[in-house]
Amino acid sequence: MLLSIFTTCLALFLFQRIIWLVVPGLLALMIYYCLRPLAEYLVLRGLRHETAVAAIVGVLLLITVGIVFMAGPLLLARAAHSQGAFEHYLAGGENLLRKTIQSLEEVAPVLQRAGLSRQVDLQIEQFTDQFAEKHLGTITFGLLKWLPSLFLVPYLTYFLLKDSTRLKRFLIRSIPNAFFEKSLLLFARFDESLRSFFQGLLVLTFLDTLCLATGLFALGVSPALLLGLTAAVLAWIPYLGSIVGCIVVVLVAATDFPDHPSIAYSCLALFLCVRLLDDFVFLPLTIGRKLHIHPLLSVLMFFLGATVAGGTGLVLALPVLGVVTVVGETAAQVVMDRRLRARYRAARALATAWDTSGHSEPRPPAPNLPP
Amino acid sequence: MSFFSAPANRKSVERLRQLDAFRELTFNEALEVEELLHERVYEKNEIIFEEGDLGHGIFIVVSGKVRADPSHELLKMAVLEFGPGEMLGELSLFEEAPRIATVVAVERTVMVALFRAEFFSLLTRNTKIGVKVLVKLSSTMSRRTRHLLLHEHHLPSL
Repeated sequence: MLLSIFTTCLALFLFQRIIWLVVPGLLALMIYYCLRPLAEYLVLRGLRHETAVAAIVGVLLLITVGIVFMAGPLLLARAAHSQGAFEHYLAGGENLLRKTIQSLEEVAPVLQRAGLSRQVDLQIEQFTDQFAEKHLGTITFGLLKWLPSLFLVPYLTYFLLKDSTRLKRFLIRSIPNAFFEKSLLLFARFDESLRSFFQGLLVLTFLDTLCLATGLFALGVSPALLLGLTAAVLAWIPYLGSIVGCIVVVLVAATDFPDHPSIAYSCLALFLCVRLLDDFVFLPLTIGRKLHIHPLLSVLMFFLGATVAGGTGLVLALPVLGVVTVVGETAAQVVMDRRLRARYRAARALATAWDTSGHSEPRPPAPNLPP
Repeated sequence: MSFFSAPANRKSVERLRQLDAFRELTFNEALEVEELLHERVYEKNEIIFEEGDLGHGIFIVVSGKVRADPSHELLKMAVLEFGPGEMLGELSLFEEAPRIATVVAVERTVMVALFRAEFFSLLTRNTKIGVKVLVKLSSTMSRRTRHLLLHEHHLPSL
């Protein structure tokens, strides 16, 4: 586990330099696993593999371009007022917080005597005082800096779909003969785990969006579908994403219904219910076995990730730890097998013996090896 | 970058079609199978697999020679050498069974391996190719079993 943590921190440190490649890479991998069944279906129907892949990615590109052309002008128009909108929703959140504190002080006068509302007002003022002017630009610029790299996603997806088998063969070729068969098996299991994880994640996102959108629509919060989808996608980031998604929805509800804080509280309750549904019903049905990372380790990784790689580390800490743990366990099963290691040493000795045996002729090449 | 045809390694595909297991395949079919095979090169006296290892696929000798050293009494009588075109370990293609003999390269040998998961995906994706390969494998297994039952000196399936 210590080695996993160390490797994760190292990976995060490297990733922050190449975040423009890591995020599109992860997205491309997810889309690859989700589109692979469709490609296999088209091949079964008689299309050549390359034709099927080109058709799928082509359709995907057309849909993406269509969405960008339709939604782009609208988003650009709204972006001009983003600072004002951000402050508007922040004010809605402040209002909700103040109302909540007032309600608490009415219920428990000891809090009023302790000056809770004064303290909270002071903290809010310090936090929000020119927050948008100080930090919004930095956050927006940070996002926009690597946003163009998302155009890599369809490119990477196309080549993953087209050449994944060749890529796997290329990787396997570099493994020594002694570890070959076992590596092949573990590689297949790892591939299968990734496939079921990403496909399960997509199904889970759909279910979460459905539940959240239905609940928000019933509460009268709009746009229900967009908010539900945003919160479901944010939930891909373990723990942190769910909290951020919940805050976003509660802020919208608090701003749209300033005189009815019960709507915002209902949104919070809705999130808790969907969270419980996820943990006890949806996750076992979709993704199945979770990574079982201890909560203490999760918190530790958040702090370590943030220290090593800032915001990137905070977001990627747990997913990277999960991948590193699975890869490490898989590799250990191969590398720690003593019989295979002995076989590998014997093979190395044979190769060295040939090289040092003083043969006058060169080692005969295996005939007809592919280039 | 070609959209509608895979880059073909004609030489390696033609070499594949010379192997008994893939003799019935057309060029395009062999091209699809070639993408699933893993080529390995073994030095003289290098172990290919050991008795008791859990097998996950078959090996086919492309060039060179390998020798099987079984510990089972029944199999010890046979002279167990395999040359180009012959296959080993076909039982492991259908189930995760332990290998029944240790196989060692007699000389520098090139082999191709077909992994079980990939073979089954071939059966699903392209039934025609899968059936052709399956028929060839079955006839080899049947021949070897018959030879063993008739006490002829040939190795049954490994």
